[in-house]
Amino acid sequence: MIPVEYYLVVAGVMFGVGAIGFLLRRNLLVQLMCIELMLNSVNLTLVAFNRMRPDDHNGQMFAFFVIAVAAAEAAVGLAIGLAIYRLSRSVRSDEADLLKN
Amino acid sequence: MNGLGSLLFFGISALAALIGALFVVLATNPIRSAMALLLAIGGVTALFIGLDAHFLAAIELIVYAGAVVILFVFVIMLIGPDSTPPHDSKAMFSRTLAAVVFGMFALVTGFFMLRAGGGLHWFPPYRHDYGTIDTFGRELFTRGLVPFELTTALFVVAVVGALAVARGRHRSDAPSEGAKEQAP
Amino acid sequence: MELLSNIFPPQNFTLVAVILGLPALGAFVNGVFGKRLGKHAVRLMALSAIGGSFLASLIAFAMLVSFGRAAHGEHGAQAGVQVIERLKFTAWHWFDVSTNGGFGSAPIEVAFTIDRLSSVMMLIITGVGFLIHLYATAYMWDDQRPDGGFHRFFAYLNLFCFAMLVLVMGSSLPLLFVGWEGVGLCSYLLIGFWYSDDANAAAGKKAFIANRIGDFGLLVAMGLLVSYGGALDWEGIGSGAGSLLQRVQVWPIGHAPTTGVAGWVVSHVPFLFQSFNPTVATVVGLCLFLGCAGKSAQIPLYVWLPDAMAGPTPVSALIHAATMVTAGVYLVCRLWFVFLLSPVVMATVATIGVLTAFFAATIGLAQTDIKKVLAYSTVSQLGFMFLGVGVGAFSAGFFHVFTHAFFKACLFLGAGSVIHAMHAGIHDTTASQDMRNMGGLRKWLPTTYLTFFASCLAIGGFPLTSGFFSKDEILYRTYVTHISAASAEKGLTRWEAPTWFGPMLYWVGILAATMTAFYMFRALFLTFWGDFRGWELAKSGAKTKHGDGKTDKHEAAKHDAAHDHAKHDAHGHEPHGPMAAPHESPWAMTVPLFVLAAFALVGGVFNPGLFSKEPGMEHWLLPFFQASEEYVKVKDGAPSAMMLALPGVMAFVVGAGGAFFVYVMSKGEPARVFTEKIPGLYRLVLDKWRVDEFYENTIIGMVESLAETAVVIDKWLIDGIIARLTALVVAAFGTVLRAFQTGVVHVYAAAMVVGIAVFGWFFVWQPQAGATVREQSSGKYVVEASPGLGYKFRWHSKTPDQPDSEAFTGRRTVEVDVSPGETKLVKLDVKNAFDRTTTSTVVVTRPSPSPAGSAQPPVMKGSIR
Repeated sequence: MIPVEYYLVVAGVMFGVGAIGFLLRRNLLVQLMCIELMLNSVNLTLVAFNRMRPDDHNGQMFAFFVIAVAAAEAAVGLAIGLAIYRLSRSVRSDEADLLKN
Repeated sequence: MNGLGSLLFFGISALAALIGALFVVLATNPIRSAMALLLAIGGVTALFIGLDAHFLAAIELIVYAGAVVILFVFVIMLIGPDSTPPHDSKAMFSRTLAAVVFGMFALVTGFFMLRAGGGLHWFPPYRHDYGTIDTFGRELFTRGLVPFELTTALFVVAVVGALAVARGRHRSDAPSEGAKEQAP
Repeated sequence: MELLSNIFPPQNFTLVAVILGLPALGAFVNGVFGKRLGKHAVRLMALSAIGGSFLASLIAFAMLVSFGRAAHGEHGAQAGVQVIERLKFTAWHWFDVSTNGGFGSAPIEVAFTIDRLSSVMMLIITGVGFLIHLYATAYMWDDQRPDGGFHRFFAYLNLFCFAMLVLVMGSSLPLLFVGWEGVGLCSYLLIGFWYSDDANAAAGKKAFIANRIGDFGLLVAMGLLVSYGGALDWEGIGSGAGSLLQRVQVWPIGHAPTTGVAGWVVSHVPFLFQSFNPTVATVVGLCLFLGCAGKSAQIPLYVWLPDAMAGPTPVSALIHAATMVTAGVYLVCRLWFVFLLSPVVMATVATIGVLTAFFAATIGLAQTDIKKVLAYSTVSQLGFMFLGVGVGAFSAGFFHVFTHAFFKACLFLGAGSVIHAMHAGIHDTTASQDMRNMGGLRKWLPTTYLTFFASCLAIGGFPLTSGFFSKDEILYRTYVTHISAASAEKGLTRWEAPTWFGPMLYWVGILAATMTAFYMFRALFLTFWGDFRGWELAKSGAKTKHGDGKTDKHEAAKHDAAHDHAKHDAHGHEPHGPMAAPHESPWAMTVPLFVLAAFALVGGVFNPGLFSKEPGMEHWLLPFFQASEEYVKVKDGAPSAMMLALPGVMAFVVGAGGAFFVYVMSKGEPARVFTEKIPGLYRLVLDKWRVDEFYENTIIGMVESLAETAVVIDKWLIDGIIARLTALVVAAFGTVLRAFQTGVVHVYAAAMVVGIAVFGWFFVWQPQAGATVREQSSGKYVVEASPGLGYKFRWHSKTPDQPDSEAFTGRRTVEVDVSPGETKLVKLDVKNAFDRTTTSTVVVTRPSPSPAGSAQPPVMKGSIR
């Protein structure tokens, strides 16, 4: 079958891609998508480990709640993005520096 | 399923996830990024199925692909595709530095992990009551009841917050579409 | 009397509570409720308080007299009745002072004693106080000033009487000090009563500060008495007085430094750091006298008393004539046994007294403000009192306190009456007190004139007035007494005053008496004789400001020259109608004048001393001062009292006659010629010898430069460096740290990543190998490794080279056996999940058994290699 390490590698690479994408991309929406990527990778890790110990569903439950919270957070983040867009007609996150200093 | 089939299945879904992730980061058009995210989520869903987490795969698809990505698409449509030029950024230095640091750290960690070795670990055999709605639901509503209810409260907060943030100064604006959410 | 002594037993004399409590009650009621009660009720409260206190004092005095008579067997005394010399009342125990290096303890109690000395003082305070209260009710009745306040005045006045009574009745120095400070406080409050004038407030401050300098001396004296004498109440000091004869070393400037630059400098001027070897009694006496000089306005601390004339005239009469300023003389009389132990101190007291008398008299010659003349006269008379007590004539000096209270109070009240009359027409405060604007007032103010005249006779020493008896007694004793040094045992010779000392003081005193007579009669003639000179001043408009807000600089307490002020009046004021003739004062003001003048004239009967064998005050006070006769002796071959009284009478004749000649017969011509011929001397005397200016430039100047240094330090050092510099440093840090707050969210994410990387370092790269050693039982130690994420351990517990097991296990603890006194090394390898290994060595030591047999906790050392 498939060893658990394969899944972990996939998750790890996805996480890395998401993290670096978050750091390098300036579009706020794309940054949010990268966050979703990272969350998904974490979910994958959790479910993989849970499959290692199938006595209980702890990992899956945790992943469940991560999905839920991620959805809520995406909603709020998009609302913020809309507000910023309305404020400055741009979703470039490096221009949103009103809190500077 | 036999070994090769599952390996193939794994390979395709992993590839989908990784390519999707890559294109999320690399695409200039945000719509393309959203589509790539969809692909990545599809890949993750398939990976979940491979891990016998059926219920969770369904949830992932419904919530992420069916709601979150749709939401992203809506907002992108509202804002308008914005191609970002690759240069003239503030704080490019620190971001690049951070990306480099992160990359190196990840590589180092991966290296040590591989060296730690201990061989590959295999999953225990399939159990028929693992990952099903029945079992999962049972556990969710007994052991996970408190977090479940708290998540409900979290949704209320998120709804109110999204409403408050997106409402802005113009009362005439309709509340933003990003307020609707369906509880799983 | 039996009944009274049953109600008020002499050991627990609760009448004291009445005497003290009534003025205190009056002060409280008038102060707190006075405004609501209205002037009539306030007057009633104040007068009844002080009057009741006077009656109670009379009762106490009578009881003391009868006890005294019984003791001296004059009333068919029973045999064996004890001598009751004092009536004591102890209120409560205050605190204990440790003496004798901490081994002994002297209790200080709030206790009051009425003995022969304090009973007379009480009568003066309450009696003269009552008369002055009565006078003040009329004097202050029409005071409409916004910063005045009828009830406030009487509250303060009653409070003053209370404090003064505490002072004289206190049976220990601390309690006396309480009263001392209390009268100082009330003096400050009353001098600056009309506080909206800066001059008044400044005068009040000056009085308080000058007093305070004296109080320093009193405190030092108290400390010395406790430390060397061991007690602070009168009986205790008296019994411990012998121990005050030991010698001490005093360094006026301090110990000389011997090392360093300062030492080298000092070695060239050794005389500056010389030490002296006086007796404790001398030091105590000098310190006590400093306190007296402050309170009783002697050189060098007299400067506050002339300025204190800024207060209302009844205040001047009560405080600065009759009672407060005599507190110093009272103190000397009270502690006469301490003073008498040191002839140096006695000589100092007498010298300063007579010098003050002379000096103040010279100033009084030139003053134009009638109250200032009386002020300097008070200073001068106080000098006489100190002269008296300084030569050992304690009861004579004290008798002068008694008579001075009467005639000086009468003089001040009379002056107040004059000012009251002048004020009705001339509203300006300074001009209405200027004698050059007065004259011929005897036809409008006959009562005032008569009483003033009587008091002038008394103060000048006209034969058979009270002043004559008291002053001439003092002068006589100055000449003839000699104070021998106490306790010439141990073969130590002590300084005694030379034989010419007494006569020299005597002649200076005669000169001062002459000048006294001169300036007092000058004041009398200028004020009451001749023609009234104030018409023009009244006509040219007397609506100068008085008592509103800021005062102009001329009313500051430095200059009395009112002729400049007259020029001030001349511009900018509307003309007034012709002034009404000055009128006599109401009965409430004249009755006290009469009573006081009567006492001033006939008060000599209380102590005829020189001329009669009738028992007087000296006899009354004799038991109190009895032991002093051992040291105060009349010199052999001294002239008789009659002969020495003659120069005193001549002083009066020359002085009064001279004043008559200059001011009545020649209409002041010689005085004017003098001011024109020797203007320098005249201005010097007019400016009070510029003593105030001297103080201002030296001492106050020093304090002011100290203050300015403090300002500079505060502004530059504390504000600039400490406050602003630290703020700058913090702001600089803030600026540096602010660079991280770019506001761009993924810069923050970048920072987070860096942080995670650093943090993760410890998890990935470096495992931590720490271990703790625990003693499980005797000899058996358990070494426990600190856990970590994914850690596996390998021990080398037997020998440092051989591991217990090749593989890394999860075993965190290992047991080690150690014999006593042995040290074992346990090596620990830690591997984390990323296959990084760290090693550390744990030293387990078991100490060899100590004699006590207790096990010490093991010593543990770990090092990461």
